[in-house]
Amino acid sequence: MSDINLQEIHDFLITLARAGGEMITQAQPTTSRTGSKTNIADLVTETDKAIEKMLSDKIREKYPTFEFMGEETYKPGDILTPSPTFIIDPIDGTTNFIHGFPYACISLGLAVDLEPVVGVVYNPLTQQLFTGIKGHGSYLTSPFHDREKLPLREGESFEDGGLSRCLVITEWGTDRSGVNYDVKVNTFRKLCASKEDGGAMVRSIRSLGSGALNLCTVAAGWADVYWEGGNRVWDVCAGWVVLKEAGGEIVDANPGGWKPRVDGRKYLAVRGGEGWQMVVKEFWGCVEGELQIGM
Amino acid sequence: MTLAELTQIHDFLIELALRGGQMMLDANPSASTSGSKKNSVDLVTDTDKSIEKMVLTNLKYKYPNYDLLGEESYIPGRKLSDNPTFICDPIDGTINFVHGVPNVCISLAFVIKKIPVVGVVYNPFQNRLFTAIKGKGAFLNRTERLPLRDSMEPLPGLNKALVAIEWGSERKGNNWDVRTKTMVKLASQGGTMCHSVRCQGSAALDMCGVAAGYLDVFWEGGCWAWDVAAGWCILTEAGGIVADANPGNWKPTVEGRRYLAVRSAPAEDQIAVVEELWDTMEGRFEFPGF
Repeated sequence: MSDINLQEIHDFLITLARAGGEMITQAQPTTSRTGSKTNIADLVTETDKAIEKMLSDKIREKYPTFEFMGEETYKPGDILTPSPTFIIDPIDGTTNFIHGFPYACISLGLAVDLEPVVGVVYNPLTQQLFTGIKGHGSYLTSPFHDREKLPLREGESFEDGGLSRCLVITEWGTDRSGVNYDVKVNTFRKLCASKEDGGAMVRSIRSLGSGALNLCTVAAGWADVYWEGGNRVWDVCAGWVVLKEAGGEIVDANPGGWKPRVDGRKYLAVRGGEGWQMVVKEFWGCVEGELQIGM
Repeated sequence: MTLAELTQIHDFLIELALRGGQMMLDANPSASTSGSKKNSVDLVTDTDKSIEKMVLTNLKYKYPNYDLLGEESYIPGRKLSDNPTFICDPIDGTINFVHGVPNVCISLAFVIKKIPVVGVVYNPFQNRLFTAIKGKGAFLNRTERLPLRDSMEPLPGLNKALVAIEWGSERKGNNWDVRTKTMVKLASQGGTMCHSVRCQGSAALDMCGVAAGYLDVFWEGGCWAWDVAAGWCILTEAGGIVADANPGNWKPTVEGRRYLAVRSAPAEDQIAVVEELWDTMEGRFEFPGF
């Protein structure tokens, strides 16, 4: 990996993210005032595919020897290998994109030896750009932030109050039946419920609809914890770098897994701060059952 | 009251909202810039109080004959009168403000006979200003008309809807059970299987999201007049409707604590979605005295 110029790739991915972001805003149904929500599923798929094609063309032209894994071109059974691999999601937060809810992004990552090393996450609707390079920190650039180092706030110790002082992110996902749905909603309830009723009484739960942006939100220090089961590697690869470089940690969503794989599909992300392991254990204690989500 | 008077009030509330927004940015630099760690619940309470004081002092000076209702100075049990009344929520989305999540706003309304006639909601962290005067439409950042999409876009049922619901602060008892069971059923494949559920942590911004049309429905029990009064005016001016969160009541009051907001759509779609949500609901909210 020593011969890979990560800075150059980082800069290249930012250019691509801005270009892809432009395509997202152009296609954004609300800005055109045309097309009803029910009819734009096709438009979304088209935009998703068009952006991924633009990205894969440019990436393959510049880095022909690297592997490429994208949401739209993924085929079941494709497996992430240790080779340098670009991992991309043209639109993360598709449901939001359909509705115009301004929380969607393009997520571009590079993994080497199965480890994310460059991450670029760009929300064109708010113009927030999160970037990170392994070993070189992560940053937020936006109309309100002039390439500011993450986290934006000092990671307070978790030891005073633990989970009860945490703002937690979870998502409802698309798989809303069976054991995984039960585990999720029972866990949500347990996290929120009062202590008298055996709950953790977290500050609150936020569900905003983009895994990549959720990781960046934890990286910024805005939320403390993000728990997820069911995401794909392209949803998390870029955000993973941004979070780790901000001092955050990622463990398994199910209890006991301290070293999850980037393509493991179950994640618990925690911001940096003294006592984070304690919060992880406390959180695992609230997981009602076990997510049955394989790679 | 004449339109000229309402317009003057609208303009003044915008001015106060922008000032209040600046006070939030100043108090909570971590959300807009790095370098500060002096964020605590105390700081938030201070900021909440000082913004409300700034707003109410200015309003009292300029409009001495009108009533004032503020979150921070609210006395339990007080009811709105029919007098012209300013309603102020200095910081809606307090938990977000504490943590730095940029879904936070100041929410200012003017009501006459308990009907919101001016609404101003300003999120300084994303520089989004939602405003409305009764009868004159609703706007984002003063120029973009709400909703942001076709106002007659069909709403073919909850199954196609993006639904805003919050977890709230009441975490046990009947209302907690009603809230969580209904949420789970709305999202579940065996239930409504709505498009998804969004919890962004600010009722005022949820109302404005429905007004803009990027949320379809907001269902809420437990928040207060100051959380919804401004958003109510903005939503109804954007073609949306507000029904009761509990079944059967099409004419909820701004201080009734139970709200079901639906975005602009053909009237038969709006009615069908309200009835569908009422049918889905597990139990009934209970707020004694309301």
